[in-house]
Formats: sequence, C-alpha cells, structure tokens
Amino acid sequence: MSEVRTFTDMEQIICTTARLMEEDKLYFVAIGGPPLLAVLLAKRLYTPEIAYVVEDGTIAPQVPLPAPPFLVAASGSSYRAVAWTDMNTVDFHAALGYIDYGVLAAVQVDEYGNFNSTFIGPAYERPARRFGGPGGANEIASLCWRTILMTRQQGRKFVRKLDFMSSPGFLDGSVGARERAGLPSETGPWRVVTETAVFDFDADSRRMRLRGLAPWATVDDVVAQMEFKPLIAPKLETLELPSEEELGALRAEVDPTGRTIRGRWITVEEEAGGHVRLVQQDAPAGEG
Amino acid sequence: MLAAGAGVFKPPDPDGFRRHVRDHKERRLVSKLMSEREAVERFVEDGDYVSYDCNLWNRGPAALMREIIRQRKRDLWIAAKFTAHDATLLVAAGCVSRIDVGWMEVGRVIQEAQVAGRVQLFEWSNGALAYRHLAGALGVPFLPLRYLGGTGTFHGSGAKLIEDPFTGQAVCLVPALNPDVALVHVNQCDEFGNARVFGAGIAPVETAMASRKVILSAEEIVAGDEIRRHPQQTRIPYYAVDAVVHAPFGGYPGSVPGLYRADVQHLMEFAAAQVQGTIEAYLDKWVFSVSSNQEMLEQRVGQAKLDELRAQETIREGYYE
Repeated sequence: MSEVRTFTDMEQIICTTARLMEEDKLYFVAIGGPPLLAVLLAKRLYTPEIAYVVEDGTIAPQVPLPAPPFLVAASGSSYRAVAWTDMNTVDFHAALGYIDYGVLAAVQVDEYGNFNSTFIGPAYERPARRFGGPGGANEIASLCWRTILMTRQQGRKFVRKLDFMSSPGFLDGSVGARERAGLPSETGPWRVVTETAVFDFDADSRRMRLRGLAPWATVDDVVAQMEFKPLIAPKLETLELPSEEELGALRAEVDPTGRTIRGRWITVEEEAGGHVRLVQQDAPAGEG
Repeated sequence: MLAAGAGVFKPPDPDGFRRHVRDHKERRLVSKLMSEREAVERFVEDGDYVSYDCNLWNRGPAALMREIIRQRKRDLWIAAKFTAHDATLLVAAGCVSRIDVGWMEVGRVIQEAQVAGRVQLFEWSNGALAYRHLAGALGVPFLPLRYLGGTGTFHGSGAKLIEDPFTGQAVCLVPALNPDVALVHVNQCDEFGNARVFGAGIAPVETAMASRKVILSAEEIVAGDEIRRHPQQTRIPYYAVDAVVHAPFGGYPGSVPGLYRADVQHLMEFAAAQVQGTIEAYLDKWVFSVSSNQEMLEQRVGQAKLDELRAQETIREGYYE
C-alpha cells in the first residue's frame, strides 16, 4: 500500500516549525504570517499550553478557530488575551528575559543566522526589491532567548553575503560578537526551518549546521539550494511529512482563507516500508 | 563611542519641547472639538514630522490621513512604526519625503519613489521607533536599549553604541523622537481631549505625549462627566491634546476592534490600484472628490456597507463589555 500526499512548501515549513515548539514556554511572534500560524497550529495540536505575545502588545490571546479572514486586522487576533498592552511593554518583557522563543520569517539568511527583511539588490538606494523592513524582528531576534527562523530552501535565500542585515544572528560568528554589539548574552538563532531541512548552529563556530532532512530530500538536494555550504550533523534526523491532521487543522482552522499557506505544491508517495518518493514539485515561485 | 549609525534623524530637543509646551499648550478645560479640515489646517504644516498610532488595517487615523492628502500637505517626515499601506498612500499622494522605517507595506509606489529620490528611507525597527517615542514622552534626550547593535539596521539608523558607564558593557542608545504632530484615533474622548483607547495598541500614549501638536479623532464623543466617573480608563489627558475630531468610522477601511471590521474589499481595491498604477484614480474617488470623511462614508461607502461592517464585528467583550 502506498499513500500519495500533496501539500505546499509553506505548509511543510509551518508543520515542521509547529513540531519544534516546546510546551509551557513563551513565544514572541510578528502579528501575522507563517510564524503566527506555526504557533497557532502547535497550540491546536501539540502544545496547548504555550503562550505568545504579539508586537501590538497582546499577551497570551486565545484566537478563535477557524481564524477570521484577514486576521491581522481582526479583533480575533487579540481575543481573550490576559492583557492588552502596547509595543514597548512586550518589548520590555522580552528584554527582561521572559520570552523563550522568537519565531520569525526571513527573506535571506547567512551562515551565522543573520537575516534580511529589508531589501534585495545592488544598493540600498536602488533596491531590486524593497521589503517592509525589520518590523519587530530586530528586537525579537536580539532579546528572546532563542530564535526560530522560517524560510524557503533556495540558493537566493541562503546567501554567502546578505544584501542587508536587518536582524542579528551570531553576527560575524566570533565568540562574544552579540555581547560586543550590546545584545543580551546567551541569546541567538536556534533553528532554521525550510520545506526540506532543519538547521541548527554549531556551538563552537556558530555556523549553520544541517540536522534534519525531509524524507524525500538528500543532503545534496539541500546544499544545492544554498550559496554557502553548511556543516552537516553526524546523524541526520528524518523530518515528518505533514500529517492529514495537521493539514486539516491548518487549512480549515488556522488559515482558512489560504492567504499564508499558499506556495509551491509538492507531491510525495509514501511506499510500503516507509520510503518516501518525490512525485512532483513545482518550480520555485517568485519572491513572496 | 564604539559605533554610530549613519542615518539622519530628527534631533532631540527636550528644552525646545518644554518651551513649546509652556507657550502653546492650553491648560484650561476648553473644548477642542473641530472638523478634520480645521484640525489639519491649523496643526499640520508642510515639512512637519508626523507620527500616527496603529495603521490602516487597525484603529489607525485614516480619516485624518485622508484630510492631510486632501489638503496636499508636502514634505512630511513620518514614523512607519508598524504601518500597513498608510505610507504608500501618503507617498503616492506626494505628501511624504522621508520615512523612518520600522515596518510598512511596500509595493511599487514606495520602491519607485525611493529609486527616483522622491522619498528617503531611514532604518529603525518597530520597537526602536516606539521606544524613541517613549524617550520623547519621558522628556529625556535618549534611552538605552539592547538591540539594533551589529546590524545593517543599526548602521542605517541614527543609533549609537557606547560603553555603558555603569556595567562597562556595550549598550545601544537611540535619540528621543518628538514629532511635530501626532495623529491618534481613539474609541472615546470628551470635548477637552481626555481619551480612551480600547484594546491592544502600538504606542498611543507615547505617540501623543511625545508630540508637540496632538490631533485626536474619536469614534465617539462622551461627556466630561463620564470621563470623571471612570478616570482609570483615561489614557491621554486633555492638556496634551490640541484638536478633537468626531470621526465615526474614522478608522475606515481598517477595523476598530469592538466596533467594526476592516473593509477587505476596499483594501483589495487599494492593492489592485497600486499594482495597476491607478492610485490617482483611487485617491480621486476616496479623497479628492469628497470634502470630508462624513461625505466619503455617505457617498462612497454607503450605510448598508457600514452596517455590514458593524454587524461583522461580533466581539465586544473586553472593549465595550
């Protein structure tokens, strides 16, 4: 018996991220997008007791599911919070060390986990494409104990040199680099999640290290989609496929309008004995 | 000093701010109710630094922004702390030449304006901008924080990295921001400017208190007596406020939580106008061809749509209950 499953690259990224969540911890997410969906999915299926703060000052909301359309502009996003505060207040809570994990999306990331959400192109004044800016990512990636980054596995995203460093990873990778830049000690990037891989960071060199692979992907597949060569963990874990339960919750409850989970379709076939074969995947879509 | 960003910033001037307060702020309880036209004519000048709370998706001062566009204000400098397409709208209308960026929706309008040199961007973050407003609201020239350092954002900002004289560790300093004008859309307000803001917000109090001139638009004007019965709910006191504009649906097309939902169709119309290069027609329809927010609501939105947006907002708990 074999089973065929079809999902988007973004669904795989969100499901993998949701499974990384640690129960009973506090999270900081941007107000919308994949990081919020990952936290909502984790709360729905795996870690119901995690809580999160949002940049607008909302603390520990209970978003009604199915989520309302255009959640960022809907009162549902802050429904039944324990407190409605403001941006400075939740940033102070992160500065005090209350927030365990920041979850963020990145346009480009380098081998030390520094990332870009400002622009791509040859020069600041002449961007090939300008993006919204760091938003809250700079403070979240600086002040939370650990940062989880979400991005697609593409060479133009895993770059040797960022077009612009919006937010900090381990900076130049040297010992104490973050502290010398004025950031709190013992903080930094923890995982980078893509549709085909999960990375962590080597404790000594602070370089990005491949630690998990999607069951249909090889190390070469992943490295081919990176400008720099990551370290490779001695033992690679095999990532789960998105389950029917996860996809159901994601599509019907967490992102029922499908705004965020859209992406490149991937079809795999799970054969008897657990081998997973890639049947089809679309070419990478344009930047988005 | 260990490092300094190269970005231009509005220089802090705490004594100048105090003198402005001494000489221009009304201490008496007097009515400041006026039309949005009068408020913007009197309190927004070309070249001003304008800061607003929230955005065009959520409890933003949309009616006041449209009035600024209608009056063709020029050369404004804005703080895009957690901005939706507000900056795009103001840039498309030719009102804005400088933007301090935290986060903003960016499409072809801002990108083309930047490349053509019509608008300059300066890099901060949402938090750094909210915090700069806090410094401005505290009356101090700067505040320390523990982020920005080491990044391109730092280098594009006006922040400085110094050795902290107390711990000896590196710490980042950001200059206080005292905007010329604050625009804040509030749920309730009395005629004097005592204001209530319900729900989470970005920095309504810091934005108002840091700014020399403060324009509030309010969904509802309540009696001064009502304010005094629930003083705990007052977030902004009257003496900080220069103008109070009664603006029901003043956040349209965004939502005001507890009152009405965002008009998603309108937001899509704007998104399409940007992509298709027809923002001039959009501005003509929604701003220039009507004389006020009220007229726009009556002639362009219509009562049926307004009723629908109110009906869609099913959550009142925490705001009005």
